[in-house]
Amino acid sequence: MIGTADLERGYRRWLRWYPRTFRREHEAEVLGVLLAGAREGQRRPAPVECLDLLRGALSMRLRPRVPRTERAAVTAVRLMYLGAVLELVAAVTILATIGSVRSSMVQRSPGFTQAQWHAVVAGKLAPTALAAGIAAALWLWMAWANGRGHRWARILFALFFGVNAFGLGSGLAGGSALYARADLAAGTALCLVHLVAVAMLFDQDIRRIAGHRSSAG
Amino acid sequence: MTKRTMQEATFLILTALAAGSQHGYGIIADVARISGGRVRLRAGTLYSALDRLRLDGLVRVDREEVVEGRLRRYYQLTPEGTTQLAAEAARFQANAATALARLGLAEGMAT
Repeated sequence: MIGTADLERGYRRWLRWYPRTFRREHEAEVLGVLLAGAREGQRRPAPVECLDLLRGALSMRLRPRVPRTERAAVTAVRLMYLGAVLELVAAVTILATIGSVRSSMVQRSPGFTQAQWHAVVAGKLAPTALAAGIAAALWLWMAWANGRGHRWARILFALFFGVNAFGLGSGLAGGSALYARADLAAGTALCLVHLVAVAMLFDQDIRRIAGHRSSAG
Repeated sequence: MTKRTMQEATFLILTALAAGSQHGYGIIADVARISGGRVRLRAGTLYSALDRLRLDGLVRVDREEVVEGRLRRYYQLTPEGTTQLAAEAARFQANAATALARLGLAEGMAT
């Protein structure tokens, strides 16, 4: 009996990783299944059980809560994850190529000093890498919130797109001096991913409006 | 657009529910039986799959019971779940028949 109480306590501890709403509805039920499947005399959750519970909890917390039948919304969330990956790739690329950027600058202007290099790192490279990291976190947050069907998240994501597109547009209008070719390609790719994701998020509304217009006309 | 192939665990869970409603541990035991002991679901995997299947409208809660002080929730297929399972089973059957025929192992083909 003491062994069962220990085991139950152990399982409860691992079930705390699950979302609160799931635990409220299913904790007693899952606990019953875990205890029914336990070995005779087992006093602690087996490592493989702990891993399985952890995996289940993470999957419930992270995966979109949108039915697969709503394909446009599911695609939009996947595109948000893609956006996060692209931002992370950009951040990692900046950090990984810092050495070659420096040697190329030294090659172009032999009088390039250590102080000038520090200024470039502090004024341009570090902020750009940091901004890409923050943007990746924003994309992930948007994927999580939109995956849970929050209406405010759709609006925020559309606003986020506006800021992104404005940034790219104003940079281009300002003579593109701000943008190297790779920067421009990455910015444009991200903007396109963003645009398609916004269109997918508002797919049903767009169709409804189009339907009203065609029935009115 | 092509439909995504159902994962084996999902297919086996739906198959376990095809003959009638079952509770969590019953599904685990039945999946092990159906797969000849090859697939042994654990609680985390099962409830993650059931959560997804309920969200997609393929499975729903049939009833609840309390047995020896523990809650048991019985799950059953929805009409959409039955349709999708039948479609997936037919697809598996067609693919298997083609594979067996090409290997010369289809019924009536072996000498």
